[in-house]
Amino acid sequence: MTAAIRTHALHKRYGAHTALHGLDLTVEAGSVFGLIGPNGAGKTTTLRILLDIIRPTSGSVTVLGESPRAGGAALRRRIGYVPGDLRLEGRVKGRTALQHLAEISGPVPPGAIEELAERLGLDLTRPVHALSKGNRQKLGLVQAFMHRPALLVLDEPSSGIDPLVQREFLALVREARDAGQTVLLSSHVLSEIQQAADDVAVLARGRVVAEGPVSSLRIASVRRIRATVTGTTPEIVRAALTAASGVEDVDIASTASGDLIRVSATARGEIDPVIRAIAAGTIRDLTVEEPDLEESVLELYARTEDAS
Amino acid sequence: MTAVTAASPRRLPLPVLRRWLFDGWRGLIGWSLGIAAVVFLYLPLYPSMRSPELVSLLDSLPPELVRTIGYENITTGAGYTQATFFGLIGFVLITIAGITWGAAFTGGAEESGRLELTLAHGVGRVPYALQSAVALLLKLVVLGIVAYLLILAMNGPAELGLDAMNLIAVTKAWVGLGLFSAAAAFAVGSLTGRRSWAVGSGAGVAVAGYVLQAVANNSEDLDWLRVLSPFEWAYGQAPLTNGFDWAGLALLWGGSAILIAIGAAALARRDILG
Repeated sequence: MTAAIRTHALHKRYGAHTALHGLDLTVEAGSVFGLIGPNGAGKTTTLRILLDIIRPTSGSVTVLGESPRAGGAALRRRIGYVPGDLRLEGRVKGRTALQHLAEISGPVPPGAIEELAERLGLDLTRPVHALSKGNRQKLGLVQAFMHRPALLVLDEPSSGIDPLVQREFLALVREARDAGQTVLLSSHVLSEIQQAADDVAVLARGRVVAEGPVSSLRIASVRRIRATVTGTTPEIVRAALTAASGVEDVDIASTASGDLIRVSATARGEIDPVIRAIAAGTIRDLTVEEPDLEESVLELYARTEDAS
Repeated sequence: MTAVTAASPRRLPLPVLRRWLFDGWRGLIGWSLGIAAVVFLYLPLYPSMRSPELVSLLDSLPPELVRTIGYENITTGAGYTQATFFGLIGFVLITIAGITWGAAFTGGAEESGRLELTLAHGVGRVPYALQSAVALLLKLVVLGIVAYLLILAMNGPAELGLDAMNLIAVTKAWVGLGLFSAAAAFAVGSLTGRRSWAVGSGAGVAVAGYVLQAVANNSEDLDWLRVLSPFEWAYGQAPLTNGFDWAGLALLWGGSAILIAIGAAALARRDILG
């Protein structure tokens, strides 16, 4: 396979602040590539360089076989882009705004705008300045997908949109891949990357700290579990959890009346031992949370350091 | 793969230019109404101003004041139209309109995120700047045509006795003067990406131009200052009385072209701010 995007030793400095420290990234054509990392890791800077909105201080970058600067407008017609901070203003209706953008993007098939708006539940008759954050983001997705570009560059595309629309968005990404389009997707939400991406790179402080197929990274192997159980005793649950491997931060409390037991624990690796331990009683409530990304990136950083 | 090439709708040229004109038609009508209000308020008063009382009132004012506000020739139709409209309120109106648009197309668009979205599509930096500059020019020319036609319509009823060609000459100077401040705002907006800097620079150019010629009017020693004043380039040779001043027009329009070229070159070379 050829690379849709290739960067080598990419540096970007803003005065004294360095946003990218020699970023090396390869995105294969026809794949969905996830870029994750905490805020300030350099995700947005990287994506904006691909669109030639900003220029790298040094290093090389190739997008669809051309440098963004030399490829210019013709190259950008083959890219769909959702900016990280999409703002829209003006009295024009959503449909008009999209038609204006269609004039400066690649050719948009007839009906594509309406079809995408329908799927995402975007009302095209409302003025853009009156759209909520979620609806603005939908408009951003429509304008990125409408010309079926060879490459989609999506910066935090699903921020502010509700879970049902997010599911539709993930379907759009899958369809794009099936049609041979390449998708580069940045997010600070792990689950989104896991559901959508084939490969992933983790950015921290302007560097790639880990990359590979999503499955190989096991980046969500740390989970926080909270449960409420009845019909057992705190001692039994505690004993079971303490005996299990990879379970930390165990906290067990009985309610005042004594029949409900609240359990919280962090599982590294398998969550099965935790579930088995609390299943000694009757589970009334159970939540399994992903840790925040900062935590997992640091975790991953530590693991890759250990491995090397 | 993949880009769909069939069945694309016909493409019209100059998308950025058309977008600015489409988005801005309300504002353009508003400024035209403002110009109409000024023309219809001031020019009909001319017949009643030609009185001996006014002449004696002007004689009683300090000559410095009369020269500063350009009222030396207010008793002629051309002098009155120049002093009330082109040299004063019309100057303020077209300057503010031009600066507002010049700043909005560059720094304003960048601050609002619109520039990033536009430039992420199939529009180059220089075409963006040049199409925006042409939109700016066209909007100012529309104001010029509106002012010209309204004043021409008032010429007879208000007994102004203006020469139609000279009215074209002064209108060109007036539009050029507005364009020069607008182009300064445009250039600084393109250089900095900041709307407030753009507005400040355009307003600074306009105010400095006015003050320089006003000072020069009152001091033989400082007469050379008028060379630096766009206001003087526009009106120094009294085009409404004497016809086209080609040197002044060349300075205004050529200077504007240079400022716009600087803006376009700056935009092509730098990072777009978020």
